[in-house]
Amino acid sequence: MKGKAFLVDTTKCSGCRSCQVACKQWNNLPAEETKFFAGPEYTNPAHLSAITFNHVKFFTLDRSNPAMPVWTIMHKKCYHCEEANCMKVCPQEAIGKLDGWTVIDQSKCVGCAACTHACVYDVPHVLFQNLSRYGSEQPLIKDKSYKCHACTVNKRDIPACAYHCPTGALTYGNREELLAKARARLNAIRGQYPHASIYGDTQFGGLRVITILKEHPEKYGLPMQPKPVDAEKSEAIRDTYHLLSLFTFGLPSLKRVAYRISKSLVG
Amino acid sequence: MSVSRRDFLKLTGMTAAGSFLGGSAFLTGCKPSAKLSGTRETTTICPYCGVGCGLIVSTRDGKIVNIEGDPDHPINQGSLCSKGSALFQVGVNKRRLEKVLYRKPYGTSWEEISWKEALSRIARRIKDTRDATFQEKDGEVTVNRTNGIASLGGAALDNEECYALSKFARILGITYLEHQARLCHSSTVAGLAASFGRGIMTNHWIDIKNADVILIMGSNAAENHPISFRWVTRAMEDRGAKLIVVDPRFTRSASLAHVYAPIRPGTDLAFVGGIINYALQHDRIQKEYVVEYTNASYLVHPDFAFHDGLFSDYDPAKRNYGDRKTWAYQLDSKKIPKRDTTLKDPRCVYQLMKAHYSRYTPEKVSAITGCPVETFLKVADLFTSTCKPDKAATILYAMGTTQHTVGTQNVRAYAIIQLLLGNIGVAGGGINAMRGESNVQGSTDHALLFHILPGYHPAPSAKEHPTFEEYLKKNTPQSSDPMSINWWQNRPKYVVSLLKAWFGDAATKKNNFCYDWLPKFSKPSSFLVLFEDMIKGVIKGLFLMGTNPAVGGANANRILQGMEKLDWLVVTDLWETDSSIFWKRPNVNPAAIKTEVFLLPAAASVEKEGSITNSGRWAQWRYKAVNPPGEAKSDLDIIDRILREVQALYKKEGGTFPDPILKCNWNYTEEGEHEPSPHLVAKEINGYTWPDRNQVESFMDLKDDGSTACGNWVYCGSYPGSRKNLMARRNGGDSSNNIGMYPEWSWCWPLNRRIAYNRASVNRKGEPWDPDRWVVKWTGSKWKGDVVDGGPKFGPAEKNPFIMNPEGVGRLFAPGKATTDGPFTEHYEPMESPTQNILNNQKVNPAAVILDTVAGQFGNPAQYPYIATSYRMVEHWQAGAMTRNLPWLTELVPDMFCEISPSLAAAKGIKNGDRVTIFNARGRISAYALVTERIQPLMVNGRPIEMVGMIWHFGPGCAKSGDACNQLTPPIGDANTMIPEYKAFLVDIRKGGE
Repeated sequence: MKGKAFLVDTTKCSGCRSCQVACKQWNNLPAEETKFFAGPEYTNPAHLSAITFNHVKFFTLDRSNPAMPVWTIMHKKCYHCEEANCMKVCPQEAIGKLDGWTVIDQSKCVGCAACTHACVYDVPHVLFQNLSRYGSEQPLIKDKSYKCHACTVNKRDIPACAYHCPTGALTYGNREELLAKARARLNAIRGQYPHASIYGDTQFGGLRVITILKEHPEKYGLPMQPKPVDAEKSEAIRDTYHLLSLFTFGLPSLKRVAYRISKSLVG
Repeated sequence: MSVSRRDFLKLTGMTAAGSFLGGSAFLTGCKPSAKLSGTRETTTICPYCGVGCGLIVSTRDGKIVNIEGDPDHPINQGSLCSKGSALFQVGVNKRRLEKVLYRKPYGTSWEEISWKEALSRIARRIKDTRDATFQEKDGEVTVNRTNGIASLGGAALDNEECYALSKFARILGITYLEHQARLCHSSTVAGLAASFGRGIMTNHWIDIKNADVILIMGSNAAENHPISFRWVTRAMEDRGAKLIVVDPRFTRSASLAHVYAPIRPGTDLAFVGGIINYALQHDRIQKEYVVEYTNASYLVHPDFAFHDGLFSDYDPAKRNYGDRKTWAYQLDSKKIPKRDTTLKDPRCVYQLMKAHYSRYTPEKVSAITGCPVETFLKVADLFTSTCKPDKAATILYAMGTTQHTVGTQNVRAYAIIQLLLGNIGVAGGGINAMRGESNVQGSTDHALLFHILPGYHPAPSAKEHPTFEEYLKKNTPQSSDPMSINWWQNRPKYVVSLLKAWFGDAATKKNNFCYDWLPKFSKPSSFLVLFEDMIKGVIKGLFLMGTNPAVGGANANRILQGMEKLDWLVVTDLWETDSSIFWKRPNVNPAAIKTEVFLLPAAASVEKEGSITNSGRWAQWRYKAVNPPGEAKSDLDIIDRILREVQALYKKEGGTFPDPILKCNWNYTEEGEHEPSPHLVAKEINGYTWPDRNQVESFMDLKDDGSTACGNWVYCGSYPGSRKNLMARRNGGDSSNNIGMYPEWSWCWPLNRRIAYNRASVNRKGEPWDPDRWVVKWTGSKWKGDVVDGGPKFGPAEKNPFIMNPEGVGRLFAPGKATTDGPFTEHYEPMESPTQNILNNQKVNPAAVILDTVAGQFGNPAQYPYIATSYRMVEHWQAGAMTRNLPWLTELVPDMFCEISPSLAAAKGIKNGDRVTIFNARGRISAYALVTERIQPLMVNGRPIEMVGMIWHFGPGCAKSGDACNQLTPPIGDANTMIPEYKAFLVDIRKGGE
């Protein structure tokens, strides 16, 4: 698979969360109101959202080898699947590919949340309120779906998250080169992490975020063989939805209900 | 022609270097993004920690559009941490102050007043307080001191502002002068100076990449100096370097370590003492280095002794070691220390230390620290493996080391082990004290501390230095050793030039260059003592310049009690801080508090111009990107305006001893301008000839006859020509030794030397210990590489390498008055400890000062069974005003929390996320509980000890508030510097908030 990609190396991540803030800064995204830690350890916010395009997940410390406890800290964002579920299910065809990246065209999005339902990684989210972009006049529009666009909006040479990573835990480059680098790295760290793994080579036709993990991917909630949506079924859902959406009076909340009903009808 | 972004920035860099010609204008070039099209770019340096990362600020129509890492900056190479990435929200933030706020005595709210009114009232308070509390004599001695005014803060200010504040305070007669450095690294300066003659981080950030072993102890570098990990991970990847993390908690730094060793807070000396013993017992020392470059071979006074935790000369009644006469070398007839280079004489330092540290067996170390024996041995073996000449280990440390009653000795222990291993002066080695504020190195250099003057000259003391003659005599060391360069013999030139810079034409040889115009202190008045004197009512007025003691000060409840006694308070900050609103904090009645408060709106780092000095002593120039919001002004402008207002009052009305105020050398405003110029201040700091003001090129040019003026001799060379600001340099090329020194990037003190004590990186022939990582080398006639210590004319065999020590060598044994608490290190328990001392019968450091007024505020383990420690995290910064007001950071860490082990949580019925109360004899606070596997009970003296860890970033003010951890920390300090023991104390914890 040609084109660009990210490499997340959890064996180099110090959890400084620069990626998380740099993304908000470059994209002028507002902060979320949080309390204590919403996720395990320092994870905050607990999930990606329409205004949080990437976050750092802190897993609980694994003390199974007391002499060498393992604390995994992992940058997570949209994996930009080659054959993305969200793209396949979107009834508006608002999700497409741009230089290999999976991007949402908000001008086409109606906020039905089909993408949210279809993504196994819990990435795209519909914004439920109008927000202004921090320090700028530009709005973030209610009832549109948002997620990481790999800095293809306000394009820059290296996406803000990877550009700002201090330790080399998050890098950006040609996918094929990064994969080769990941494999070499895997050999180098096997002594310290015997069950180390690479995630993202094959899933959904290949992801554009490759992750080097200290253990098996499943341990971090990353399915080895995630299920692509059934093409036939999703077409049927889409047809039903289009029918039902005639009665939603352009209201996004009803469109979301229509999508849910269509999904359960096609079952 | 298409210009890449990097090329473009190089162009701007060149402009930057030349921009002092006419302000700070930058080019607008090609931009990769619509977001940045048509923007103007300026470079800046991050205002958070002491790493000194570069950033680019993009502005359009006078507004900040974007701030991101500077790809050309050699330290961060574009990367940033979460705080640096959030800097945009310091500039663009609705909470920023735009007007002067005023709170009248007993008032219940702020009111806005004009600058004119504020300055006139502040000047009036200063003059009235000064005139009423001025003390001319203490007995026979002229002290010329204002007892009623104190000033705190400065580590966030630019160098030019720190220097101006330091001068301003002395002109007014203030000796209650302290700032953050007292609380973070004062014991570093004492410990390193006692060992090497200078209190500085020996190497620099990029140099970490040259290490073979990296020991992070008493620090959590991944969080508090995040970009250091760029170089830690680089060393691990490129050299296969091993990372050791020693910490009570399994931290984010530990998550990347090869070896993690847990340790009970407050037992560092046992741990490092164990490593020293391991090195001596297994002969893991670099013998040639030890014999040539340390005092291992020096013979010690026959009466020097050590018994049961006490060194000779101890006076139990006074709780101190008096004049420390036996802590001395034996001298020959020429007054040169006697040596035995075979290291066999039983009175030589090597033999004495071998006996001293033999008690630090791995088993003892384990019983004291709680670190398993095998883990300790793994650390000792790995660390001492760098005793080979071509191997280097570095130590990265911070507050976990310094903030103890034995803080200075903790640092000494690092010095001892690194000298034994031959790791000082070499690339990839050293003792790297990581500074936590962006300019705390500069603020210390410029002496915002009661005990020093700019450039590390002792501040005049009534007892020690009644006259100028006595001052110079006591502070100018002599050495008869022909091998010694003894640099401090030059002190008179630097002090006279300083007085000339301050008092100008008034300073003449005849009046001892106005030495008596400097205030003399009569008792040491460090931070803790300062607040005790505030409670006593001695101090009437206080300045807080970018500092927040209500959150950051130890025993914070007592600090607030002190502030309530003030007649007036002037706070200069970006926003309302927790300290500035002490009169309206929760649970107090403002109508009962008399203090008149002025809150002056300050400019942020990107809204003014000037330099800051990072941990590695790189003084880097920052440019103004935008105007400050509303009526906010730079600290330099504020200090300048206040002083000129006070001058006008004295001129008009007369008053007590007006000479220093009216006759000082103070004119920083260029003709036709309305604001002071940081360039004029920087030029004075660098020094110039008097009276014609030609910039001097180095401190070799300074004279003791009044023909030169120099504000700070260590900065001599930073601005060596009227248009030559070397701090603004942006040449990204490396030097010939290719070890990452980047000698033409900014400027580094002293004399642009990037690695201190670099003469010790070669043998007596001048050959580098490691030819692949050489710092300097001797060609037979001259030196190559870094700027060599002690001047280029002496060859390696002619002079000893540690030029700031009179004996010229590194000190394994710190003689005489180098420390107050021992020539060797010894483990004592923290003031509040959960266990007894099993190494000797002294409980706490026998020379630590226990203040009478707070003697009843300490607890014991029967009342408070858990050891507590405080720390920081990457998402917040210090006392929190510059992060708790930024939504992007409070999103990550929104609340005050503590960390406890699952076993303590189970015992107390606490679940993750519960509210808990933590309490001791000094206070009680509420917090969220993070129950984490990363904290485990440790087996100490055969008994499991639980720990409560707390962040200390929160307080009652700012956008996100929370209880201040420092309400619980103990009011006791290190024996040498009174740095409070923040890092080990006792608490109890229970479920449920207050």
